[in-house]
Amino acid sequence: MWNTIYNWLDERLGFNELYTNLLDRPEPKTTWWNTLGSASMFLFIMQGLTGIFLTVYYTPSPDHAYDSIQYIMEGVAFGWLIRGIHHWGATLMVILVFVHMLRVFFTASFKFPRELTWLIGIGLFLTTLGMGFTGYLLPWNQKAYWATTVGTQIAGTVPFLGEFILKALRGGPELSALTLQRFFSAHIWIIPALLAGLMGVHLYLIIKHGESHFPTKED
Amino acid sequence: MNDETKQKINKRYERELDKGERFWPDTIFRDLIMSLGIFLLLILLASFVGIPVEPKADPSDTSYIPRPEWYFLFLFKFLALYGQLPLIGKIEWLATVLVPGVAIGILTLLPFIEKSPNRYYSKRILPISIMTIMVTGIVMLTLMSEVPTVAEDGSTLLGTLQTIVGIFIPVIAYVLFAFFKSNTRLMIWTTSLAALSMIIISGTVLALAPEKKAEETEVATTLVDQIFAGQDLYSIHCTECHGDDGSIAVIQGVEGLEGEKITPINSRDVLYTITDSAMAEVIAYGRPSSGMTPFGKTYGGELSKSEIDYIVVFMRYMWDDRFEVPQEALKPLFPPLAAGEVPSYDVHIQPIVKRYCISCHRAGKENNNYLMTTYEEILTTGDQAANNVIAGDEGSYLLQVIQEHAIMNPEKPGEELIGVMPPNRALKPNVVDVFFRWVMNGMPRTAVEAGALSTTPAATPTP
Repeated sequence: MWNTIYNWLDERLGFNELYTNLLDRPEPKTTWWNTLGSASMFLFIMQGLTGIFLTVYYTPSPDHAYDSIQYIMEGVAFGWLIRGIHHWGATLMVILVFVHMLRVFFTASFKFPRELTWLIGIGLFLTTLGMGFTGYLLPWNQKAYWATTVGTQIAGTVPFLGEFILKALRGGPELSALTLQRFFSAHIWIIPALLAGLMGVHLYLIIKHGESHFPTKED
Repeated sequence: MNDETKQKINKRYERELDKGERFWPDTIFRDLIMSLGIFLLLILLASFVGIPVEPKADPSDTSYIPRPEWYFLFLFKFLALYGQLPLIGKIEWLATVLVPGVAIGILTLLPFIEKSPNRYYSKRILPISIMTIMVTGIVMLTLMSEVPTVAEDGSTLLGTLQTIVGIFIPVIAYVLFAFFKSNTRLMIWTTSLAALSMIIISGTVLALAPEKKAEETEVATTLVDQIFAGQDLYSIHCTECHGDDGSIAVIQGVEGLEGEKITPINSRDVLYTITDSAMAEVIAYGRPSSGMTPFGKTYGGELSKSEIDYIVVFMRYMWDDRFEVPQEALKPLFPPLAAGEVPSYDVHIQPIVKRYCISCHRAGKENNNYLMTTYEEILTTGDQAANNVIAGDEGSYLLQVIQEHAIMNPEKPGEELIGVMPPNRALKPNVVDVFFRWVMNGMPRTAVEAGALSTTPAATPTP
């Protein structure tokens, strides 16, 4: 019975090819420093899962955002744990992605043939920061409100375009319900979609070129 | 890069692969352990550190010191330090746009800027040095982000030291790199010295930094806490006019509003017709036509958005018969006294004073300078401080007025020196009894002191 199902799937999916192409690949000797990328990806998946749970109760409006989060923390079973993981996961993800980038920089792993992997990686770093920036506002508490006020103000100092950028970010001259709405949209749709897409390419490139080895005097 | 180098690189990689490992199961095993470790760390952080509770966003609260997310703090600090530089400090966009923009640009285009195929550390001393200084600067600025650039006494020493770490040392190091870049040994020395001095100076700054005052923001998270918080705020800000149960229809004893007719705010007329948000708005804006001043910070009052919300919650759950009060919210103001038991300030007097007295007896109100917000104030302030509270004396003015005996002015017969307190309605006998026992037994402050004075064995019954 199981054999029949396995064979049926194997004919269509090709487990053998998946195994040889994805898993049974040769790699140079790796260390714990090589785990930072996959750890970042793991955190992204965790953030996605916990984030989906949070949207079940969260309401992106100034009137209800704060209360809905309070309800998640007090009223929902294990809501505190889900939000706690999401909160700390964000912090850890920024740290991990940054350290991952430093590792690649110091071992010069971005050089031929991995230039494109690096380029995409910078995109991943920036989108991660974007996730942090947009997510920070969502609890609509004092810290969030004022952090976003300064954050958008800094973006508003760009010469010539500043005013436009500021208004585009805030959805008007001041922080308002519109700001919260668009930060929410960016946080759960736009940026994660971008991030996931970039991550797919990043992964493909890593599988294609393999992990780089640690440089020795020869290199 | 020519084909020959490319081939050499690929050959070299082949050799590394030959003495390497398999992705499955070697590499992925370590990855999985790492992810599992992070998962456990997250659960520990979520369970034992948690998320700091913050009050609701309040756009009107201009006293709040805005700070960005922690990973942007270094940039924020850099901007603050940069802003103090003479001349270029005024051109804001140099620091907000140009410097970060160039940094990110270089980082992005790195593979096309650092084109040499060399990968070994000693062959890449320039980029490694630049990055080391950059990362040291970022970490140090993040650590110092809480330290003010100008101290309270006006000294700019800390600000200067921070500028040295955040701007001068990196700039000097980068200029030196331009001269030393072909000499590996000099580069290592410059980088180490620069990084070390940045760390040492930052350490000095952190050691000298004024101790951070722990900001205490009390946030009521559960419904019961919110009702209590609302009740306390209501007692302080609203009872003067509306009475402690909201039933007052004609204001008495309030200067300037004497005899003003108002709707009892505990009536169905009010509670059934006004929504929560409208009620919060009335509290924030006030009712100028009937003498109610604005209470919201935005309009010159004292209350934040969260605080107004708590008052609304309190009114709903206590007075609106469509809402059911949680049992816990109905616990008595103070634990009842047994015969012979002596009450203490901490357990009994403080909550009573907060509910019935502080509304008027706090700074900025007309109260003959008698303030009651702390233990010391109750004993020592006021125009009649010497007579207000006398240990063991039934004639203490405090005890007299709460028993509905006004104190007459000895110099002007027929004129009240102090009227009965509270002006609107008498305190309940059990509350008066608490004050009486407290003063007669010498005003003990803590439950322990009170317990020592009590004549009953069970001195402080648990509520």
